[in-house]
Amino acid sequence: MMIELCPSAEIAEGEIKRVDVEGLPAVAIARHEGALYVFPDRCPHADESLAEGWLEDGRVICGVHFAEFDLDTGEVHNPPVGCPNLSFFKCEDRDGTVFALLTGDNANV
Amino acid sequence: MLDILDISKPFADMDRPVDIETERAIMRWLHAEVRYLDAERYQEWLNDFIDPEIHYWMPDMETRRRDDPRGMFAYGESAYFDDTWSELNIRVKRYNEPSAWADNPQTRHLHQISNIEINATDDPTLFAVHSAFTNVRNRNEADQDIIHGRREDVLRAVDGGYRLLRRRVFIVQNVLLSKNLNTFF
Amino acid sequence: MCEGDCKGAAKGRPNMKPVYPKAGSYPDFAKLVDRENAQVDRRVFTDEQVYQAELRQIFARSWLFLAHESQIPNPGDFVRTSMGEDDVIVVRQRDGSVNAFLNSCPHRGNRVCMVDAGKKARGFICNYHGWSFGIDGALRGTDGKVYEKDETFEKAQIGLTPVAQVDSYKGLIFGTFDPDAVSLLEFFGDFTYYLDIMLDNDEGGTEFIGGAIKSEIDCNWKFPAENFVGDILHAFWTHQSGAQAILGGGVDLGKRYDELAFQASIYGHGIETNLDKVGNTRTLGYPDLVDYAFELSEKAKDRLGELRARAIGAVSSCTVFPNFSFLPGQNTFRVWHPRGPGKIELVVWTLVNKNAPDHIKEQYRKGVMMTFSPGGVFEMDDGENWEYSTRVNQGFVTRQQPLHYALGIESADMERDLPGHIHKGSLNDANQRLFYTRWAEFMEHDNWTDLQNGATAAPKKTATAAE
Repeated sequence: MMIELCPSAEIAEGEIKRVDVEGLPAVAIARHEGALYVFPDRCPHADESLAEGWLEDGRVICGVHFAEFDLDTGEVHNPPVGCPNLSFFKCEDRDGTVFALLTGDNANV
Repeated sequence: MLDILDISKPFADMDRPVDIETERAIMRWLHAEVRYLDAERYQEWLNDFIDPEIHYWMPDMETRRRDDPRGMFAYGESAYFDDTWSELNIRVKRYNEPSAWADNPQTRHLHQISNIEINATDDPTLFAVHSAFTNVRNRNEADQDIIHGRREDVLRAVDGGYRLLRRRVFIVQNVLLSKNLNTFF
Repeated sequence: MCEGDCKGAAKGRPNMKPVYPKAGSYPDFAKLVDRENAQVDRRVFTDEQVYQAELRQIFARSWLFLAHESQIPNPGDFVRTSMGEDDVIVVRQRDGSVNAFLNSCPHRGNRVCMVDAGKKARGFICNYHGWSFGIDGALRGTDGKVYEKDETFEKAQIGLTPVAQVDSYKGLIFGTFDPDAVSLLEFFGDFTYYLDIMLDNDEGGTEFIGGAIKSEIDCNWKFPAENFVGDILHAFWTHQSGAQAILGGGVDLGKRYDELAFQASIYGHGIETNLDKVGNTRTLGYPDLVDYAFELSEKAKDRLGELRARAIGAVSSCTVFPNFSFLPGQNTFRVWHPRGPGKIELVVWTLVNKNAPDHIKEQYRKGVMMTFSPGGVFEMDDGENWEYSTRVNQGFVTRQQPLHYALGIESADMERDLPGHIHKGSLNDANQRLFYTRWAEFMEHDNWTDLQNGATAAPKKTATAAE
């Protein structure tokens, strides 16, 4: 089931925003070249918030150990030892509101 | 300009051996040069070993992260030496003054060279020569400075002998562990 | 443990607030400077206890030079340097300001930054346990998914210790570990009048070019600092060989020495100058630089007035108390970092006007290398003097002997309308006496009110002299 997250206007170009969802781990929403990306607000390396990181050249940068994740594929670059790739949730912008499929398997966009 | 004369570039091809006669002559040149430097025969060194078009460069070594694209040194940044012939000559003039106090009393020098590789280049008159060195200075009672490093030289064949046309000197120290450099490399 | 009110830390949790040491008072050490007899006791150069007192009284309180703005133009750009023996990182923040932090992880103390400098750093990660700090010094996270599960762990309470105050003056960034220190401008007093000779002689300001050259000299840090504060006398003897090599003659103070040359000192900062326009610049050995200095001197009259315009390239030297020095005209800027009573690490940069033509900047870079770097024909002969001035005092009897600092003891110039303590002639020990007087004030006083109102403060007459 798609879950309503927030108005899409709250996600500015080049920014990452954290959204708390009742009963589920918090998610992060990023906007890059207009498109929206939704992923767990938790770096797969050390569980730090990715919303406290930033976007750079089409990648999410974790602000703690500087792992870089491709927005296209989730592939990790510059990984700390043992850091897996990032997974994304299916999402869409329905009339100005962001929805994402947070249950079931995460799916890379 | 040939790449090997570009002071900012390392030697590209270190697999072009020279004939045995050339090898022997350049080895003799290298050993004679350091013998002159050991003896502080700086004016003769300048006159007999150094090409008038010399570029003599010794950058200082920065400590940087491996992913820093600037690397440990770059031409145009700060350096210990970045000299033409006339600038080397200024340094030699100082040594020639009796009031060059850092050399009076006399400093005891030893230049050791090793790891010598002599290579031909695209120009038949030019040779690319790599060597490693240990530069030892001792003066007064117990003041000792030892500097290790590498040199990348270009020698030019002239008048049946050789002249130093380009020298890049890379030492292994970041903070120079000496109060001065009253020596050549 | 925190008893509450510890930057918001919960009661009973570790108090990780930064600690800024309080100054004390060392009247016995202050007496090692004998103003009456113009003598300095040699123990100030060798004694370990005096040295430890210097770290506490002087280096933990004074505004110390950190970097030039031009070295770190963009957010995340940083340099690593020292304040006294304390390793610090100086980093440009996202809002354009500059902060500085102790380079030591609050976990086990390891350095978090190992390199000399870097560009656009995302932060600093300790190699030991992966503790990660933002460029703002805040702890961003750790490694191993361990601390996150420990509910008592208060990340927000932990960070790199900030240098208490950071400020800049016309491109030069300074910092102090003392939260109670007077402002940078008050620390300088009217000495900014003289700093502007180099820092404000051209529109567009200044920059450092190239990197830094670092070297070790086995001497007490005060010998080079006092040398630059006002010892042009040594140039004639020490640097005879260098002057011969470059100029083909001796050091020349200009024809109008008696009329023009002077020393000025405020709060221990001092400059000596001969106002001969290009004497220092000439020693770099490039005629183009001499032309540039002459032109600059003419042009700068509007900004600085006639007197200071003559000083830009003149035979001169300057120390900002305690350990930051430069040579106008030769454009070498340097810090003498203490490394124990008998060792320094010298760091040297070249300063140029941003608007100077490229070939002029290049000649300054090469000229400084040829004269005032470890292989330079002038600096070459300084080190051994300072090393043996320091080392001979290992002799028990030797270090009981007085040292003579009395040249020009009656040379105070009460007429000249310039800021600070003015003495006639640059060949004078006056600035060195005032440098050590300032040193004694720091040893004696545990508060800034006394520090700013002692004998080294500018005499009242100068209140209006700086215009």
